[in-house]
Amino acid sequence: MPVNSHKKRFSAADYLLFSVVTAAVLCLCVCAGSVTIPLKETVNIIRQALYARICMLFGAPASLPEGTAASIILSVRLPRVLCVAATGASLSLAGAVMQGLLRNPLADGSTLGVSSGAALGAVIAIAFGITFPGLPFAGTMTMAVLSAFLSLLIILGLACKLDRSLSTNTIILIGMVFSMFVSSLMNIVITFAADKVQQITFWTMGSLQGKGYSEALILFGALLLFGGILFFHTRELNAFAIGEENARHIGVNVRRVKLVLLIAVSGLIGICVSVGGVIGFVGLVAPHILRMITGPNHRRLLPASAFGGATFLMLADLAARMLLRPRELNIGIVTSLAGAAVFLVVFWRAGRGK
Amino acid sequence: MKLSVKRTRSTAALLIAAMLLALTACGSPKEGGQSPSENPSSNASADTSVTVTDMMGRTVTLKEPATRVVALTASDCEILFAIGAGDTLVGRGTYCDYPAEVLDVPAVDSGSETNIEQILALEPQVLLMSTMSQTEEQVKQLEDAGVHVVVSNAQDIAGVYTAIEMIGSLMGKDEEAASVIENMKSTFQEIQENATGDGTETIYFEVSPLEYGLWAAGANTFMDEIANMMGLTNCFADVDGWGEISEEQVLERDPDYILTISLYYGEGPRPEEEIMARPGWENVTAVKNQAILNLQNNELSRPAPRLAEGAQMLFDFVYGR
Repeated sequence: MPVNSHKKRFSAADYLLFSVVTAAVLCLCVCAGSVTIPLKETVNIIRQALYARICMLFGAPASLPEGTAASIILSVRLPRVLCVAATGASLSLAGAVMQGLLRNPLADGSTLGVSSGAALGAVIAIAFGITFPGLPFAGTMTMAVLSAFLSLLIILGLACKLDRSLSTNTIILIGMVFSMFVSSLMNIVITFAADKVQQITFWTMGSLQGKGYSEALILFGALLLFGGILFFHTRELNAFAIGEENARHIGVNVRRVKLVLLIAVSGLIGICVSVGGVIGFVGLVAPHILRMITGPNHRRLLPASAFGGATFLMLADLAARMLLRPRELNIGIVTSLAGAAVFLVVFWRAGRGK
Repeated sequence: MKLSVKRTRSTAALLIAAMLLALTACGSPKEGGQSPSENPSSNASADTSVTVTDMMGRTVTLKEPATRVVALTASDCEILFAIGAGDTLVGRGTYCDYPAEVLDVPAVDSGSETNIEQILALEPQVLLMSTMSQTEEQVKQLEDAGVHVVVSNAQDIAGVYTAIEMIGSLMGKDEEAASVIENMKSTFQEIQENATGDGTETIYFEVSPLEYGLWAAGANTFMDEIANMMGLTNCFADVDGWGEISEEQVLERDPDYILTISLYYGEGPRPEEEIMARPGWENVTAVKNQAILNLQNNELSRPAPRLAEGAQMLFDFVYGR
């Protein structure tokens, strides 16, 4: 099945191919949307905006395109698509790494409950008013990252204590128990913060609507930082995939590397959740499909997953925006539909493989 | 090995303890302050019995007007107070918040968390609820326990009149109910007569702010009915009921007025300011003209007498500019 799996690295040609596909999907998602804007106009608006930006960069006077279509493309669609792309790439990377760490194809932020854990952190921040002056998102973001990290520690701790071989059933059960545990904690928080109930309920329904360039910048920053850390540990991830013993034998500092990986994964999931809410199954669908193309080597899988996750989530978001025009579906509904199907296939294969 | 088993157990015990805590936290009945009244006055010799047909078509007969009522929906509470029967309320749903006096009435869980025992403990004669609140089993349970269940289900302004009339006769306050309805009708009529709009100007009703995904009120909502009444066109009339809509659709439809019912939490920009500051919205006519109204108190979202007040506020805003 795996094509080119003999290749060890993600070559420049691969990067080019994946970038081109991702860029093409990005263009499609900017051109298509709830309101139909002719392609020619879209291209014109973006060309003018780019030109104006470049002029401004060099201090030359220039004006940005105006009008409703320009507002829709530049202020609504483009920032949203960028946020979606960064979120997709981050969640997918995090999923691929967790699958490698736990040696299980069903591990993912949403199936294990790490995303719910992150959401709990954000809700605590809202409920008790944890903010940093001057930084509007920092409070929820920090709490989400911390609580994602804590969740990962608890989940891994439980997994090791219950079943060292980490069978699929154990993973799913732990994910279920942990998610239930987190949702009960969330209810307790809500009981204590009765005056914030409405804000919290709204937050948990959160969507990627209305996200701007600042959020996109944060998401891409996180992707660059934490994704970069992960890219530097592909060799160790490959060793982990064979077994922790094996990793130790070839000289990997298991404890340290694991800690670094967990921090990076928590950072990715926590920041994505604090911006766009819990979006399920992205980290499951994208890496799984890409593993069929690139094979299990993390050196190839991780970059491919980042591109693939971005592409997948952008398409899911496009569907969410287009299917019921002028209404909008929650993006989580679309990813969960796709995710449930992939989940079943993976589970079925894992069962047959025994 | 033993140790690890123990640890697993203690973890499990902790989990279970936490879950139980969550359950009790959610389910504990709130203290009902009132003791059951012993004998509702029964000296009337004339026939004091009241019979109403509720909005599900069920017939309910009481020997005399109700004196102990639990109302689960906010609108029914408002109607009770509007007809001067607020003192009969012995329990209210969690989300009932108007008028302020209603907050002194013991709250019971409503909606999917409705707790029959809580309601029965308040010993009401009548339970007012909307169609969505209860399952049939729960209604049967309540009726077996001697509580008359009366359902209100107003989908339009005419439905609100029906609900007020029904609750009025249930409480023996027919005249008060009639005058509340008369007041509403005259307000609406005045608005209709004074409105000069011919439907060319559009209004966008924002039910949930951008941060949480935009929701608009579409056709078959009170807001839509009231917009039409004052010669405005709801720009999301192609959406049925309340629905999540795309931000770009608002920009494209370019409403002349925006009405938002977002709450203001006392920090950050006010809802109107937040809308005006949204990137890309500067070309929307309502934003250019600062024609954004914020109604904070559910005036236009509840099937209650205050719909008239809300309509008047919107009318004053649109035509008083």
